[in-house]
Amino acid sequence: MHIPDGFIPLWQCGIYYVITILALYFSLKWAKKNLDEKMVPLMAVLAAGIFAIMSLNVPFPMGSSGHMVGGALVAIIFCAPEAAVIIFTLVLLVQALLMGDGGVTTLGANILNMGIVTGLVGFYSFKTLRNPLGKIKSLFIASWLSIFLAAVMVVLELWFAGKFINLQLALLFLILQAISGIVEGILTVIIILALEKTRPDLLVWNKMKKNNKS
Amino acid sequence: MKPKDKYFIIVGIIICLIIVVMTPFIASKNPDGLQKTTEQLNTNEESVIYKAPFVDYKIPLFGNGPYSVIAALIVGLLIVLGLGYLAAQIIKRKKPPESS
Repeated sequence: MHIPDGFIPLWQCGIYYVITILALYFSLKWAKKNLDEKMVPLMAVLAAGIFAIMSLNVPFPMGSSGHMVGGALVAIIFCAPEAAVIIFTLVLLVQALLMGDGGVTTLGANILNMGIVTGLVGFYSFKTLRNPLGKIKSLFIASWLSIFLAAVMVVLELWFAGKFINLQLALLFLILQAISGIVEGILTVIIILALEKTRPDLLVWNKMKKNNKS
Repeated sequence: MKPKDKYFIIVGIIICLIIVVMTPFIASKNPDGLQKTTEQLNTNEESVIYKAPFVDYKIPLFGNGPYSVIAALIVGLLIVLGLGYLAAQIIKRKKPPESS
């Protein structure tokens, strides 16, 4: 889902940079208030894990492939989409500057799609669906939705840039991302359940539950 | 740092290393969804203002083989891990939580 350089006009890239910088400003404010010492290793390991998992493409139909993104996963673990903004800014910056994966001019757009949209959609859909549907179903749906809506965002950005004028191509992209969302959903459920079993103290919702009880 | 946090970091790094070592052998070489659907689009190549040192996750010094990919991924992984730790240390809460 990384948009390379040359796909979006510079003035539009500027708009996405402004949105991303604003989101980063609010995320840093969140960190100053909420990110405690215990979460420091979690943030570092999650950033490394997201970098690693994004390199592992799995084959999809029509000669395509896709990888996990993890924005919903990060936001749900920290109970804060702001954490996804911070982690994805770091990961996407290294991917763009070191590996050429995603453009430098489009870095703002890529952070918006993979860090901001996935984090916001993933966390708030999980929060809304958890009570009526239960943990596993809501985790899966929230992660799937985070990828699908991030893909819709990419389509809109490329449409504004005059690239996705062919409806068939846009639909094909959305179908491929809908498949990618299934992989995202399955892996998010597995990772959260594994964390809950081994280090439940790292899941912020458990900490909140504990604080509410005492 | 508590021992269980140290253990968490070590286990996390080992899992990440296993993923990056396996990547060149098991990852699909097919283009991703965006590459696949934008293959026929005209892009403005002249607007590419920056060339990354490890393009396509390969260190040029190590050639085009899988070990070049593994080396590039390990370098990237360590940089992200270090940056993540450093950034979190800098931006974390300095004062104890406010009690209401």
